Amino acid sequence: MSKVKPSPLPPDTVLGGYRVIRRVAAGGFGVVYLAIGPDGQQVAIKEYLPASLASREPGTLAPQVAPEKLSLYRLGLKSFFEEGRSLAQISHPSVVSVMNFFRENETVYMVMNYLEGASLQDFIITARDLKQAKIFRESTIRSLFDEILRGLRIVHQHKMLHLDIKPANIFITDDNKAVLIDFGAAREVLSKEGNFIRPMYTPGFAAPEMYRRDSSMGPWTDIYAIGACIYACMQGYPPSEAPQRQASDKMAVALKKLQGVYSDNLIEVVQWCMALDPLSRPQSVFTLQKELNRGGERRYTKLSMGEKVRLQFDSIVLGTKKTVLRATEMSKKAK
Amino acid sequence: MKFSVFQVSRKGTRAKNEDRMGYCYTRGAAVLLLADGMGGHPEGEVAAQLALQTVAALFQKQAQPELPDISAFLNEALMAAHRQILLYGLDRGMLDSPRTTIVVAVVQDGAVSWTHCGDSRMYLVRQAALQTRTRDHSMMEQNLLRPTSARRTDKINRNVLFTCLGSPTKPVFNVSGPVTLQQGDKIMLCSDGLWSSVTDQAIVKALSTKSVDLAVPDLVEDALRLGGDSCDNVTCIALAWETPDSLDSTRGSISTESISDGVFASTVQAGWLDSAADDLDDAAIERSIAEINEAIRRTAGKKA
Repeated sequence: MSKVKPSPLPPDTVLGGYRVIRRVAAGGFGVVYLAIGPDGQQVAIKEYLPASLASREPGTLAPQVAPEKLSLYRLGLKSFFEEGRSLAQISHPSVVSVMNFFRENETVYMVMNYLEGASLQDFIITARDLKQAKIFRESTIRSLFDEILRGLRIVHQHKMLHLDIKPANIFITDDNKAVLIDFGAAREVLSKEGNFIRPMYTPGFAAPEMYRRDSSMGPWTDIYAIGACIYACMQGYPPSEAPQRQASDKMAVALKKLQGVYSDNLIEVVQWCMALDPLSRPQSVFTLQKELNRGGERRYTKLSMGEKVRLQFDSIVLGTKKTVLRATEMSKKAK
Repeated sequence: MKFSVFQVSRKGTRAKNEDRMGYCYTRGAAVLLLADGMGGHPEGEVAAQLALQTVAALFQKQAQPELPDISAFLNEALMAAHRQILLYGLDRGMLDSPRTTIVVAVVQDGAVSWTHCGDSRMYLVRQAALQTRTRDHSMMEQNLLRPTSARRTDKINRNVLFTCLGSPTKPVFNVSGPVTLQQGDKIMLCSDGLWSSVTDQAIVKALSTKSVDLAVPDLVEDALRLGGDSCDNVTCIALAWETPDSLDSTRGSISTESISDGVFASTVQAGWLDSAADDLDDAAIERSIAEINEAIRRTAGKKA
């Protein structure tokens, strides 16, 4: 068993009529290439090549799969098809679109439109390093998520959930469009039941029900992640993981610090989206859109000096509490 | 090849039988299988069944009519069974995977080779003596293998195994053999429900004095009686080897000489697993791709 990553296809390899320019990304599932179609159009081609199950020698085309790994390889292929099926049904400027799907070199390829730009994640990190009170302007956040929610609404209308919405999966193109990418985790769960592999989740953005295997997920699960993304756009950092929040929730304190910087309404929306109880969140994207687009003057409640001092004091006390709690837990275990 | 084989499995006093057994043969090779689904984890009987099916399927694929490499087959078969069980748990989002023990014996070219994982055993009896038996992968049995001075003296729970198929850790097992068979040799596979109640001496005595079609049911009956109110599942399969030229044929014995090359006989029932992964054959892949492209065309059409 080699631990060497399968080698990507070299530039100028021709795949289903597309010519590979270069590798642009690689993940657990495989490799993404920038390629050029017969009409000169740039495309992104995602190759199914899970590094843990398949290998490929430099200079060869077909991946090698050990016989004992074949069934897992095929199972992974199923999710790859799932992603293709999900995307094939949707045509929306805010959702990455799939243009073609083909089989070659004993594996399969998904052709998508090539996006030039950077992920929201990259933007947050850049903005964060500027060390200002605001990561993004409120108007930027509102228009960005308005676009994303339009796309997500279509996804939900097709009885699909994204289940891995996070800043790294929101792409901002160079012509300023927000696009939801990476539906690898998406499963058609709204109509089907049972018999599917639970997707992986991203801590901070995954709703508490994604950690529990027994409860049902729904649009509210993606809405939690949207709330977490807005939070990250305001704070510059992802929120605490859901299980941690269930133990001790510092969300209210963290949001209070943003008072006056962002409108009360936006802070309330985040709080609503990120309610730990799925039923307390907006139940549909439409409900959330309505709230986000509500007109009228926005109130900014500034913190008074007294509140600021108290907040600072609170975080010190909270820090102490945590240490005490940890110490008590240790003693419990020792028993 | 010529042999007689007999198998019995009984539930004992348990609510269900999580033991599985079976045998398959071609013109040139035979395989005996026994798996004991583990309690304390979910769906032990599924794990046992999956293990048997996987090994039997691999045997059918490779024994054409002989296995090209018996040791490689045994290694591959156990790992494949292990993965199938993990896959079953994964596919159903189970918190804990089903687990099973397994013991597999292959007879080919007049010799037997075997492997096991857990505490299901294989006994090889020649004349009236125990030629060899497997050593359980249990804390208790491993302790007995140590030098007397290094042994633990406290009581060890015999049910604690350190390896099995289906656990998140890689199974531990070794392949033994080949041991050349002699006329009248008996190969017996059994679950712990049998050996925990019936002593090795009694097992050897039964196998060396009776034909397998009598010895096997008798041993199982003894185990059930001795096991009493808390009797585990009891499963036993035994094969008696007959040198091909031997004239005195045992009633009901199998002679593989008469079967043609492509024939495969098996008592292992297939079909438990609709196999979510295996049904994705070439045709299914092509179908999926066609469906997706059709959806892309439809979506593009709507847009236009």
